[in-house]
Amino acid sequence: MGRLMAREFALLLRNPVLLGLVVLLPVLMIALLTGIFRAGIPSGMAVAVVDLDRSDLSRGITRMLDAAPEVQVTHQALSLSEARALIVSGAVRGAVWLPQGLERDAMRGNQPEIVTFYDNQHMSAGSMVARGARGAIDTALAGLRLSVRQDKGQSPAQAQSALKPIPLQAHALFNPAFDYVHFLLAALVPTVLQILAASGTAYAISLDFGPGRDPRQLVRLAGGLLPAMLGKILPYSVLFLLILGLSDVALYGWLDVPLRGSLPLMAAGAVLFVLAAQLIGTLAFVTTRNIGTAASIIAVITAPAFGYMGLGFPREAMSPVAQAWGALIPGTWYVQLRIDQSLRATPVEISIWPVLWLALITLGLAVLVLTQLARLHRTKEVAP
Amino acid sequence: MKSIWRAAREELRALLGDSQVRSILLVSLVIYALIYPLPYRAEVLRDVPVVLVDLDRTPTSADLARRVDASEAIAISGDAPDMAQATRLVQDRAAYGVLLIPAGFERDLLRGRQSPVAIYADASYFLMYQRVMQGAAVPIRQMGAEVEAGRLMASGAALGVARAQVTPATQVEVPLFNPAAGYATYVLPAAFVLILQQTILMGLALTTTRRRHGMDHPVWLVLGRMAAWVAIYAVLLPIYLIVLPAVYGLPNLGHVGDVLAIGLPFVLAAGLLAQCVAAVFRSDAVVQIVLLALGLPFFFLSGFAWPVEAIPPVLNALAQIVPSTPAIDGLVRVSQMGARLPDVAMNLWHLWALTAGFGLVAVLVETFRARPSAGPGDPQATGTPATRGAQSVSPRQTPASFPDLRSETRPPRADQADSG
Repeated sequence: MGRLMAREFALLLRNPVLLGLVVLLPVLMIALLTGIFRAGIPSGMAVAVVDLDRSDLSRGITRMLDAAPEVQVTHQALSLSEARALIVSGAVRGAVWLPQGLERDAMRGNQPEIVTFYDNQHMSAGSMVARGARGAIDTALAGLRLSVRQDKGQSPAQAQSALKPIPLQAHALFNPAFDYVHFLLAALVPTVLQILAASGTAYAISLDFGPGRDPRQLVRLAGGLLPAMLGKILPYSVLFLLILGLSDVALYGWLDVPLRGSLPLMAAGAVLFVLAAQLIGTLAFVTTRNIGTAASIIAVITAPAFGYMGLGFPREAMSPVAQAWGALIPGTWYVQLRIDQSLRATPVEISIWPVLWLALITLGLAVLVLTQLARLHRTKEVAP
Repeated sequence: MKSIWRAAREELRALLGDSQVRSILLVSLVIYALIYPLPYRAEVLRDVPVVLVDLDRTPTSADLARRVDASEAIAISGDAPDMAQATRLVQDRAAYGVLLIPAGFERDLLRGRQSPVAIYADASYFLMYQRVMQGAAVPIRQMGAEVEAGRLMASGAALGVARAQVTPATQVEVPLFNPAAGYATYVLPAAFVLILQQTILMGLALTTTRRRHGMDHPVWLVLGRMAAWVAIYAVLLPIYLIVLPAVYGLPNLGHVGDVLAIGLPFVLAAGLLAQCVAAVFRSDAVVQIVLLALGLPFFFLSGFAWPVEAIPPVLNALAQIVPSTPAIDGLVRVSQMGARLPDVAMNLWHLWALTAGFGLVAVLVETFRARPSAGPGDPQATGTPATRGAQSVSPRQTPASFPDLRSETRPPRADQADSG
């Protein structure tokens, strides 16, 4: 088996295509994704202001909007329809409507409406506009309320505390910097690696077990079916783990993603995850014995896997069918483990479950692969 | 004209005759259309579970908890005696937030002091965090306003004055185009465009790697193939962009004509890009794996889910080469936001420019292929049939002890095609 592994590494070094697929491509993809999210939380969404009041208050609100980090006022629209056209064409992400008589009505206690329109089709940008506008308008209105109270002779401190009898202290559990990058990269890196570990392994195996190749040659060489398969797969496991490890060093080292959990647990999860992903590729290939069809099967399983991990839309809110399908994919559990052990500092007795699931999936896939191989082997021997 | 017709017929036969290409173009439509949207069917998060840690245990604190529980976004799922146990429930994913009401909450309120409460939201899941914050902020703010108004009126202020001081103006937020903030409505229209692009790229690139080289002029060949794609995608594109969204009940403000007007240059640009991809990678398996890996980066590069404002300029410039970038933006604006063609003119020009650019490259590639002696990038110039093809291992480099590795992996018809 050792000989086989050495042979595999030698083969790898001589075959630039294989090397490109299992080393260059994953590294490039991970670098690309890191590059996309490197800048961190988005800010400075363009908004339009429809100021029909042109008063001190409306100008104050516009100033506060401009000062908010989430938004920046790029357009002054004269009407709502103009603002809507700006949103539809993509020039701005939202618009704030300040009605005529805003200041006067506010002073009289008529409670005029300030309306924030935002593009919620682009939900990530839109919710940012809503948040930024809400905060800015609140601040501007608080200024007004404060000055009224001070005019009545309250001290600034008194007035300030009277404004908010029940202040809400908002805390972010587990992710105090509230950095989206942590969260997305922690899941995107395994997603891409799952695709490439599965398809790369299938491709490597196709070089020995493909049509026109006699797999018995390799089996004889390794001295058995199991060693042959292991000798073929394990060199790539080492490679993919190395890539995963290096990207983690980058993620947790340079990018300062917190790591607040058990390293051995993370390592065990990583090994099982890579093996399981490879076995998906192996199974797809040994079942079809055609790299093209195998790649299609791998695509169907691994390409939509990101959605099932529940980072955008949480797993708990999915239908039972979606939850069950997601539970069969190794990446789902590995990503959960990573988030648990990096951001959430989850105790080991809770976090052991994703590792056990991974082990179960790996075992199941291994059994399927071996059964299929044994069958192939038998038919070859019966019919030479 | 006859050459174009011949090339179109040949391309159609190649696409529909190859079982693997057929499966990518048609079967994947069915599978992807089922698997991709499945996680998002529930659309909106309601009643996200939140744990209550009430250290005050007074009628006022119970009132606050009840108000929070009544919000649409979150529901109080249970009590915990302290933060440590509440945090554990969140770690176990039994809850996604903790509402902490400190001891002395009611007393401070009655004495006219500020009386803070705290909400801890699970920030490792972005959407959950948003919902928990939203669900807690609105009722607590309202309760605060009532308390403030009560105090003002107790001190003798008239109702109008109290209102002007507590809430001088009300804030209304109007989410446009996706008013319920549905997740499927948000992500599927863009995802369908990306899936369409990836299947075009895979299917057409695969055919290209397996194709015999035609005898006609490269320009006619490429034009003929383009006609073939248009014929196939005249059926498939409306399925992806009009029928599927309707099946999933997504809102649709778009005009069919506008969707097709963007769809045409999108299909052509993607198809021509597939020719270029095939020319670079040459082997069908490699093409498939590379395109598979690129799906997710393409999606995030398009500036849809991850706002373009946050993408580094260099990567954003790079993203403009991919047809999905202008296509996702344009098609989402047309079908979900009711934009008309003048609103998305930039995207339209962008797609036609990509079509022209990739078309030029495709014609050049075809020209080099047609003349076996020309071009350093031409595989035929560099070797015998045994070494040709990206995935083969050349005999010179293969150790003598593994004779079976030498055999050519490509189907024999590829060789015939190369010499033709």
